[in-house]
Amino acid sequence: MKILNKQKLKDLLNSLAADATVYAPVKQDGVIRFQAWNGDQEIDLTDNALLPPKDLLFPQTEVMYKYTANGMRAEITEVAATAEKQVIFGMRPCDVKSLSMMDDVFLTKGYEDDYYKSKRENTVIISLGCNEPAPTCFCSSMGVDMTEAEGADVMMFDLGDKLALEAKTEIGENLLASASGLEDGSADKPAGGQCQLKVEPDGLAEKLAKMFEHPYWEELCRKCLGCGACTYLCPTCHCFDIRRKNIGEKGFQFRCWDSCMFSEYTRMAGGHNPRPSKKERVRNRFLHKLQYFPERYGKVACVGCGRCLAKCPVNMDITRIIKELGEVAINE
Amino acid sequence: MSDPVRKQLEAHPLVPVVGEIIKIVEETPDVKTFHVTTEHGKPFTPMPGQLAMLSLLPVGEAMFSITTQGEDHLEFSIKKTGMLTDALHEAEVGQKVGIRGPYGNGFPVDFCKGKNMLFIGGGIGLAPVRSMIYHCINNRDEYGKMQIIYGARSPQDLVFKEDLFENWPKVSDCEVNVTVDRGDDRWDGHVGFVPQFIEELGPKPENTVAIICGPPIMIKFTLPIMEKLGFTDEQIITTLEMRMKCGIGKCGRCNIGSCYVCLDGPVFSLAQLKNMPNEY
Repeated sequence: MKILNKQKLKDLLNSLAADATVYAPVKQDGVIRFQAWNGDQEIDLTDNALLPPKDLLFPQTEVMYKYTANGMRAEITEVAATAEKQVIFGMRPCDVKSLSMMDDVFLTKGYEDDYYKSKRENTVIISLGCNEPAPTCFCSSMGVDMTEAEGADVMMFDLGDKLALEAKTEIGENLLASASGLEDGSADKPAGGQCQLKVEPDGLAEKLAKMFEHPYWEELCRKCLGCGACTYLCPTCHCFDIRRKNIGEKGFQFRCWDSCMFSEYTRMAGGHNPRPSKKERVRNRFLHKLQYFPERYGKVACVGCGRCLAKCPVNMDITRIIKELGEVAINE
Repeated sequence: MSDPVRKQLEAHPLVPVVGEIIKIVEETPDVKTFHVTTEHGKPFTPMPGQLAMLSLLPVGEAMFSITTQGEDHLEFSIKKTGMLTDALHEAEVGQKVGIRGPYGNGFPVDFCKGKNMLFIGGGIGLAPVRSMIYHCINNRDEYGKMQIIYGARSPQDLVFKEDLFENWPKVSDCEVNVTVDRGDDRWDGHVGFVPQFIEELGPKPENTVAIICGPPIMIKFTLPIMEKLGFTDEQIITTLEMRMKCGIGKCGRCNIGSCYVCLDGPVFSLAQLKNMPNEY
């Protein structure tokens, strides 16, 4: 185990930044975001970042390839290059867990998404355990261990004026071996905090399989504005659109985050839309997280980070919805 | 699949191979069939019923059924319905296009072996069915009697006229029945809707698989008649459409329940569809 005096945090980040771009939670304008470390930012390890760092692996917009086209001619001139090395510093266990879902989507079922894969393979994760979960956190109900992020290369604990860092993979070991500011030492692993919100998602997928036509969805969708904020904040939401931009003869194809809450998302060229109203879209969002994803990949597509319920403008609360879905009566 | 194409699509599944339109057939006023190939020849050899992403690079990309294939090319029959298809309809022979695929499960060719094949199509719905018709023709010994029942709004809206009136009637043990909703002065064939036409023809369900594709309204009225004729849900196979962007089960939008139409479809039996949410 390595110990870092927090006053030497800059030394550590500077040394990590020598070989890779380091992304760390930085407080700016009152908001914590993952930003590329430039040697002089205010690192904030108190709360989780406003947005999950998923855009570092799955950018909000990402050029896929470039082309030239003119009349009958067309040619692909450049396919996006492979990713460079990056370190994500201070990623919380819930967000680390979300990567297992992103991996399922982008790397399994017959096709590997090369854009994601290249970034994933070039990313080192230093996770920070949570001593004080936010009031909106419910990760412990979603199988997250606040003190042990499965998939992290280094696990880190906040000891007040110090940080303890423990390598979990060979990559993590090598990283710590060459990093500055660290001293050998030992410390007791903090117990991890307690989530105030609790839900019981076990067995829900089976029940939901019988609830597609349930009147609950009619009621639930009423207050949703369809703004899509929940899908943009969610560390496990992975839907994307593919679009293009032309500048004269040249152009590029890019992908960007999309949202199942938008009507255009499923509307076909002929005008038909299988999910024409909020009811179908809200239902699909929750069934995707709680039934479809478990059926397809064997896990619930929610890590309990609480961002959607913290930021929803009309207070749609997935924990309340999970509870209600568990309680509501169904006709077998 | 040709080797350079396979390698490229394996390395970058979302990046198309550039190909070229080598022939365009005007089927109807709003349907054209495009023959597409690449400098490496036919980009891949799809199973009947499979799909491919076709693009005009500056305009966009969309998923189409591969209506059939030749030795050196793939064929797409495309109805003019949106931005990309409008632009495709303006394209000429020699136009460079992007292509990637093949995607989806295709028709269950092994399940159909040894069975009589009933093909029912309405309008442009004959396009995906045509791939299976040609598969049966090219492997004629492996399948029983073939019957093709097809209808369109008017005689000029009938697609694949050469197949319907010249090629397919000459195939051994293959019956072709064509109807139109409204005839014209020169039409001396059957007039009437597809569902009623099926009822009149009364195809037998014994050892038969029915492959049905057409507009939703046709499907809606056809299914009760099939049931009346004695076809079970396992004997009825159809192919679905959904909006798609990636084609490889990542972008999220073509799901019906936990099923992705681009990977697990587009071909489903009626028995499968009845176990899925009614959201397509």
